[in-house]
This record gives sequence, structure tokens and C-alpha cells, in this order.
Amino acid sequence: MGSIPAGRTLFPVFSGAPGFWHDNMSTSGRIQISIWAALSMIGRYARLRFCEQLKAVSFIVLYLVGFQLLVLGSMPSHAWHIAAGIGMVVLGLTMFLEGLIIGLMPLGERVGLKLPQRAGLAVIVFFGLLLGLGSTLAEPAVMSLRAMGGFVKAWDAPLLYSILENDPGKLVVAIGAGVGVAVAVGMVRLYFALSIKPFVYVLVPLLLAVSLYYSRDANLVALLGLAWDAGAVTTGAVTVPLVLALGIGVSRAIDRQDGGTGGFGIIMLASAFPVLGVLVLGMLLNPNVPQAMSEAEFFASHNRQEVMRVFPSEQALVRHAYQRGSSAARRACYRDDAGYRSALLSLADPTARRALLGEMSLDNWLRERASEDERALLARVSIQPEAGRSASGSFLPGLLAGQAAGAFRSVVPLTLLLLIVLLLFLRDRLRHNDEFLLGVVLSLVGMAVLTTGIQAGLAALGDEVGRSLPRVFHAEAREESRRILQPFDPDGVVNVYDQSGHPESVFFLRDQSGKMHGEPYDPARYDPATSSYEHIVRSRPVFSAKLTFAGIALVFLFAFGLGYGSTLAEPALSALGRKVEEISVGTVKRTGVVRAVSIGVGLGLLAGVARILYDLPTLWLLAPPYLLLLWLTFLSEEEFAGIAWDCGGVTTGVVTVPLVMAMGLGIGGELNVVDGFGALALASVYPIVTVMIYGLILRSRQRRSMQAAEEEQDE
Amino acid sequence: MNEAPAPPRELTRITCMVQHLLEHQVLECLAALGVQSILVENARCVRQRIRPRAWGLPGHVTTLDDAPMDMFRAVVPRAAAGRVLRELAAAADLRIPGRGMLYAQQIVEFSRTPPLMITPDDAPSGMLRDMVLFTCILSMPGSGERFAEVALTLGAGVPVVSYGIGAGIRDRLGLLRITIPPEKEIVRLVVPAHDAAGIRRLLIEDGRLDRPGGGFLYQTPVCEGLIDPLLRIGRQQHAASMEQIIATLDEIKAGTSWRKRFVGLPADEDVALRVRRNYRELTFICAEGGADEYVRAAMAAGAGGATTAGARCLGAGMEDGGGVAREIGMLCVPAGLADAVLQALCVVAAQSADEDCRIQALDAPVVFMHQRKA
Repeated sequence: MGSIPAGRTLFPVFSGAPGFWHDNMSTSGRIQISIWAALSMIGRYARLRFCEQLKAVSFIVLYLVGFQLLVLGSMPSHAWHIAAGIGMVVLGLTMFLEGLIIGLMPLGERVGLKLPQRAGLAVIVFFGLLLGLGSTLAEPAVMSLRAMGGFVKAWDAPLLYSILENDPGKLVVAIGAGVGVAVAVGMVRLYFALSIKPFVYVLVPLLLAVSLYYSRDANLVALLGLAWDAGAVTTGAVTVPLVLALGIGVSRAIDRQDGGTGGFGIIMLASAFPVLGVLVLGMLLNPNVPQAMSEAEFFASHNRQEVMRVFPSEQALVRHAYQRGSSAARRACYRDDAGYRSALLSLADPTARRALLGEMSLDNWLRERASEDERALLARVSIQPEAGRSASGSFLPGLLAGQAAGAFRSVVPLTLLLLIVLLLFLRDRLRHNDEFLLGVVLSLVGMAVLTTGIQAGLAALGDEVGRSLPRVFHAEAREESRRILQPFDPDGVVNVYDQSGHPESVFFLRDQSGKMHGEPYDPARYDPATSSYEHIVRSRPVFSAKLTFAGIALVFLFAFGLGYGSTLAEPALSALGRKVEEISVGTVKRTGVVRAVSIGVGLGLLAGVARILYDLPTLWLLAPPYLLLLWLTFLSEEEFAGIAWDCGGVTTGVVTVPLVMAMGLGIGGELNVVDGFGALALASVYPIVTVMIYGLILRSRQRRSMQAAEEEQDE
Repeated sequence: MNEAPAPPRELTRITCMVQHLLEHQVLECLAALGVQSILVENARCVRQRIRPRAWGLPGHVTTLDDAPMDMFRAVVPRAAAGRVLRELAAAADLRIPGRGMLYAQQIVEFSRTPPLMITPDDAPSGMLRDMVLFTCILSMPGSGERFAEVALTLGAGVPVVSYGIGAGIRDRLGLLRITIPPEKEIVRLVVPAHDAAGIRRLLIEDGRLDRPGGGFLYQTPVCEGLIDPLLRIGRQQHAASMEQIIATLDEIKAGTSWRKRFVGLPADEDVALRVRRNYRELTFICAEGGADEYVRAAMAAGAGGATTAGARCLGAGMEDGGGVAREIGMLCVPAGLADAVLQALCVVAAQSADEDCRIQALDAPVVFMHQRKA
């Protein structure tokens, strides 16, 4: 080191006043690049990112299309909408993930890093509470939960119905309070560098014990699926990466000699505390609702006063009878037959129809809810058509506008909160302002495009498959829709004879692809006055009657593939995978974590479908994996335990939830189940198990490497 | 902050890279020795794993296997380096192949607080001498794996990979910088000095450093240390493994010179490779979030760029077990520029409120980076 003269002054005092102290990194000596070179750089970078996401999405798209074409034997309808939607999903994922990586996550990490250095514990706790509550209000998961509870019947589960329909505000507050407490507790945990394990050992048995207690009460048991699902869906696509980055920042600032906690674990708490919040809410509201009873008893006049505790008005009760009840329930809402018939006939009028059926179309109502008598009554009147949906050309822009508002609500308030804390309270700055701004814009636009694409493409495709799915486990043909054929000439009906000489009347119908099919003819459906025939379109079973077992196996396979494929494309998981790989310096690969989680979600959905098909209690399916997890947590390393438990929270995000809902609603609607809850909670717990096992395998491999070396030395 | 000037200190920087499972042994040893400031970085070591082919098919397959490592760095008085090395090697059983490695480098440090005095002893350290450290900064994601494979195939040693963030030309591109990933993979490889030129040439050629955007490599001297000879894990077919035989011969021969494999390189070989000579490695250690100012100052003084990495600082001074997040920055500059860059870094350190910031300098006699041919 001869060039460093002895006696050089240590840290010589700086006498100049260079301007760069307060500039950001990029301003000194900027390199000028030609426009073509810049475009080429941007093109290469965008192509790389786009291809990455295309790869992530391709599995689920090919799987859904393949399932529909090969197994269900039908073509996706609105193929252009779906294709455009899928294109938007890939583009949206690319932009959103890039926005998270260059904008939102560095902001979260910076705030996390500076908080313990410049703020006291009380401020950190307050900030955690605010962030948790704010994130729930910004990304309300209640809409998804309400959709999942679309089948809930007030007589089966009055408490669940009341919470979903009458008290969604209280539900949001219960979940928000849960997330707020979770983030605050998580920050305190990181502040004192406490292990995640004691939290797991206390929270999981507590939740299971409360759930067990609830399972003994007919009203409370119905709430369990909602409560556990609330824990799963509450951590949204923006909240997860932000909270994750925040935790990593705090953990870096407060590191410990024992290696620290790595910053993981807050998402786990943010999944557990909302469950507790909803369970507590149920306990508080239970005394105010009637007990579960049969439909007939529920609508009986002597119970009316009791029942009206669940409904805000008589009109709401009638509406419920129309939307979810049988004809007996509807009849019970009126004093006499005349009133009942007059109300039924009023369904011909679009305004009255909307008041009674809500968003449900008359066709769907006739198919799914109406009795034969009700159908016959309505067949005699002319039905005024509903005001048409927006033209197909304006469908996507309209949807995009709606999703843009949601994206704004998700991204902007949380980002602003963190930015205000960083700039005003912590008196710090961002590393690159321009990069941050670009990141926020990309997150915003990306999320709007992504959610629009999911609604128009992936969820629409999933919905089609979900609706057709019950055909694979039902042996008989089912009514799909009704079509009026006019003019219809009965002379075109011919007789077809079977082997025993028995005749059957059929007429020939050409389908959309131009192929001719023989359809059975029912003379009762022909109206000579109008020369019209009401043709019932039936979905044929995929398998013959003897193969329903194979059909159920196919549904399980579908559920597994849906869970696996949709999780591969989940942006929050991708962000978590990147962080895990970064922190572990590549010893835990991102692809390994993503695959382990995807397999877990697949298994979880499989269990969720089993729950719906066989009407198994949610707790039976949730308790075993959670008990197994207590043991696996004990065996796991601190850091991996945190990662694994966080994986449970990130799995159910923007891509998975709509697809799981489509499948759950499809099968649940077909089987007339009480509610579609439970699938998301199961899709959250199994990934924790698979990631924990993955971690243990990695650890054992590392131990074996060292042992092998030592054994070689000993020999 | 503007305290009286003090001379730079001539010290020894000890780097100990051990399997993550041995973290506690190393920390306890350093704490017992009284080292008050220990920098810990996460890293991974890469080895070849030989396993029989699946389904009982004849033959075997070789794959890469990585394991988490902890990289400890501490600065001690030169006189005490031998004792520290010996005790660390004993604490973590580093003479057993596969547990890790350690090495010492003589540096000049600029810092406010001198390291605590550690009582030296006269016992021989028993370490290998005359080695060099190749530090390779790679830009392409995943290129660390390929580079490590080349090093393992050459039998050069066990490469240790860590992550860093690059700063330099990228930061002068404006917002276009987002098109270039800042993540870098830093591969460290300790090899015997007598084979350094041959291994360097093969690393450059087979590791594709001679292509644009491939990264760069520099060489710094290591005065003594222990290297991990366990390049391969897998089924053993002999009474002793090759690694055990090599380690034993190293011990008997008191060095690694008997291993010399590459005869002297022709003088024009380095010229053809456009190897540059006479550089300095400058390292700054500052509080988390403070690296940007150091990098800006260094670049304003003429440095081409820097690579920063996160670390945690642990030590005897932190009795409650707590640590502090730190950032480490590495620059490699021509000797002619080194004084100016060092001066700029010292200015930033003097302005900083961080009491524990350090700047370390070390010779880097050979540097290679891709150059467009004229």
C-alpha cells in the first residue's frame, strides 16, 4: 500500500459545497443515449418481463381451455373477450409486478428501515394499526366474501346471512381491526426480534379451540367458513408486498446476533387475527338473530316477528324468498293465492322483476328456483325483455373504468400513508424519486389492467368451466337454458323408433357450428296461437351413469390444476419469492417456493371441493393441517417458519380468488350447498404445510452435505 | 465530527466463511477474542454433487449443490491475526473439508475507532500461505452459478457467492436505468498464488468474462488462510477422498506450491486478454442507507462504479444481542485514481454522523474487464 502516505489525515474536513449532496443518484454526469438505443433498451427489458409473466399465466390458460375443449367438449364463448382479457392479464401482471419492485416495495423497505431508528415503539404500534386498518379499507375483501356467500339462505344460517347482508360494515371493521392489530403486533415482534413460533403456538390452538366451540352451535358453526376465509382473502395484492417489505426493513434495522427473523411473519399474523375478529363479531351478534330452522318454519307466519330480526323490511324477506327460496316460501309471503299469483305475474315487468330478483336473470330464476307451476304460470304471459347489456364493443372499456377506481383505492391511500410517514415523520427521502413515481404509475395502471383482464378473461373462462363442471359428476342431462323457436312447424316432427319398436318424437335442430342434432319433442311446449315452441336446452353428462366416480375424480383433478396454475401467476407470491431468494442468497430458489406454494394451493382446493361435494364440516378439513403445522413449525428453522406462514397469506390474491370463486360458485350452486366458504381457507393452509416441508427438505439436504463431509474425514 | 486528524491504520482483515449451521461457533469465538465489530453477510457456497443415475441406470450424474454460508469479516491488529485465524479454525473445525474457509488480508483502514487490542501469541498459525482472492462481480442473473461451475470443474476451489447492488454507469442513465438490473452476483474464490495466472485465464475464458456485459474480476493478495478443498460431495469409492489427500499433502508440504498445475504463462497471454494491472480495492462500511453518498462522491472523484451489499454488524459491544444494519461498498480503481477516490470517501465519512464508518484499502494487482477492441 505504498501509495497511501503515512500520516494522511483521517476524514479530512470537507470544505467545498458540492450540489450533489441533495441530488438523487442519477443526476451527476448523465450519459446521453440516442433515442433508438433507448428504445432498444426499453424493448429488450419489456420483452423480458412480459415473457416472464406470459410463462406464469400460460399454464392456467392452457389448462382451462384444454379442460373445456377436451373434457367438457365445448368451445369457450366470447372467445375474443377472453383472449383480450388474458392479454390484459399478462400485460397487467408485468406492469403491476414491476411497479411493486421499483416503486412500492423499496418505499415499504425504506420506511421499515427508518422506523426503528427514528421512532419509538408507541409510534411504530400506532403506525402498524393504521396501516393494517387502512389496507383493509383500501382493498375490501368483503366483496369477494359476499360473493362466496351468494347461496347463503337465512333459514340455514341466520347469523352468517345477517353479517353478510345486513352488517357488512361491521364485518369490514372486524377484519380491519384484526389486520391492524396483526400488523402492530408484527412490528412489535420484529422490534424485539421475537420468534414467530410462540405466536403460532398460541394463536393456532386458540383459533382451533374457538372454532371447536363454535361447531357446537348451529348458528355459529355456519360462521366458521367465513371467518377462516376472511383471514385468507384479507391480505390483498398491494398490502402483502408492502407489509412484507416493511417487515424486511424493520428486521434489517433491528438485527440480532442469532440471525434475526428475516422480516417474515407479519402476513401470517394478518391472516390469523382477522379470523379471531370475525369470530368475536359472530359471538357479539349471535344473541340478536334467530336460530337456524327449516325453510317452512322460517317463513311460517308465527315466526315472522322472530325472522324479521334478520331482515330490514318485509320487502327484503320477499326478495330473499324469490332469490334463494322455494315456491312454498314465496307462497308463505302472501296472504292469499291471488296476491302470490299477481306478484309472480309481475315478474314479466322489468322493474318489478329487478326489485324481486335483483341481478338474477329471469331465465336463471326459472331454471334454478321456479317450480313447475310457477314456470307454467309465467309461460302464459309475454315477458318484456330486460334493458340490454352494454354493447360488446364498450364492455372492456366500461369494465376497465370500474377496475381503475378499485386500483386507485388499493394503491394510492397506502402509498400516500407510507410516503407521508417517510417524508414528514421520519424526515427521510427516497433513493430515486423518478423510479418511485414510475413504480406507482405502473402499479396503478397494472392493477387496473390486470383486474379488468381477470374479470373479462380468466374469471370468465373459469366461470364457464366452473358452470359446466357439475356435468362431469352428474349422470343425467340437466336443463341449461330455454329457447323459443318461432315460427315452429309441428309437421317437421318425426318419429324415431328404438329396438323394441317404441316411437319417440323428435325434431332436428342445427347448432351454432352448423351440425344437426335430433331433439326430443314435447307437444305441451308448442303454442299453436303464436306458432312457437319452447325448447329446453339440456347439458349432456360427460360420462355415462356408471362413471360418476371418474367424474368426481376429474373434478378433483380440475381443482388441483386450477389452484396450481392460478397460484403460479399470483403477483404477491412472485414478490415474496424474489425476496426469499434475495435474502437466502439463492439457496432457496424463487421457483422452488412458488412451486411448493402452488402445489399446496392445489391440494387446498382439492380439499375445498371435497368439502363442497361431500358437505364435510370446514373444521374437519382445517384442524388436521393446522395441528400438523404446529409440529412442523417446531421442527423448522425460525426464518423458514416465517416464510412458510407468510405463504399462507399471499396465495389467495387477485388471480386465485376470482377463479376459486368461479369454481366454488359453479359446484356450490349446482349442489345447493349452504355456502361456498372454506375453499380459500383451505387453499391458504396447505401451502404452509408444503413450504414448511420444502424448507425441512432443504435443511436436511444441507445437514447431509456437512455430515457427508465429516464422515469422509472420519473414515 | 470534525475531530483531530489521525493516521491510517495498518491492520489485517479476516474473512471467515462458514456453513450457516456453524454461525454460533464463529460468533462465540470472535466474542471471546474481544473483536468488537463483526460484519456478517449472507452467502452461499457451491459444490458439485455426484449421485448415481435414477432408476438404477449405470453411471452417475453431477449437479451443482449450494448451501447457505455466513460470511464474517472483522479487522484485527496485524500481530494478532495468527491467533485469531487459529482460534477461528479450531472453533468451527475448518480443517474438516466442507465446513468453510477463512483468510487474512493486510489492509489500511481509515476509521474513527481503532480495533481493540487482542493479545498476540507466538504459536504458529498453521495456515496456508501465498494465496490470492479472486473477486468476480457478475451482472447477468444466474451467471454466478455458471462461473461457480467453471471454478469447480477447474478444481480451483469452492466458490462463495453473495449478492450485491451495482452502482455506476447505470445511475447515469436517468430513468433508463430501470432497464438494467442492478443486482450483481459476487463470487469469491481463493486459489494458490502460483496457479493464479492460469486459473484466472481459464475463469475469464470459460466464465465468459471476455464478452460484453459479462462482469469483471480482480485479484487481491491473501497472506494466510485455510481453503475448503471439498469440491464434490457424493459417493466415495476410495479409502480417502481426493480432498482429504490434498489437505494432508498441503499440511505435510506446509503450503500449496506442490499443486502447481499451470506452467508460467507466456508474457503476451495477459496482454491478449487485456488484463489491467496496478489497481486498488477500496471498501467502505457505513450505516444502512448511507452508501449512496459514498458512491456519488467516489464517482465524482473518477471511480467508474461500485458494488454495494447489505450486512449486519454484530459484536462484543452489543451485549443485548442486537445488531446494526450496515452497507458495504466495494470499488476497484486504478492506483493513480485511488488517492482522489479515497479522499472523496473520507470526506463523506467525516461529514457522516455514523461513528463506526470505515474505509479500507488494499492492493488489487490484476483486474480484468471486457474492453471493446480498438
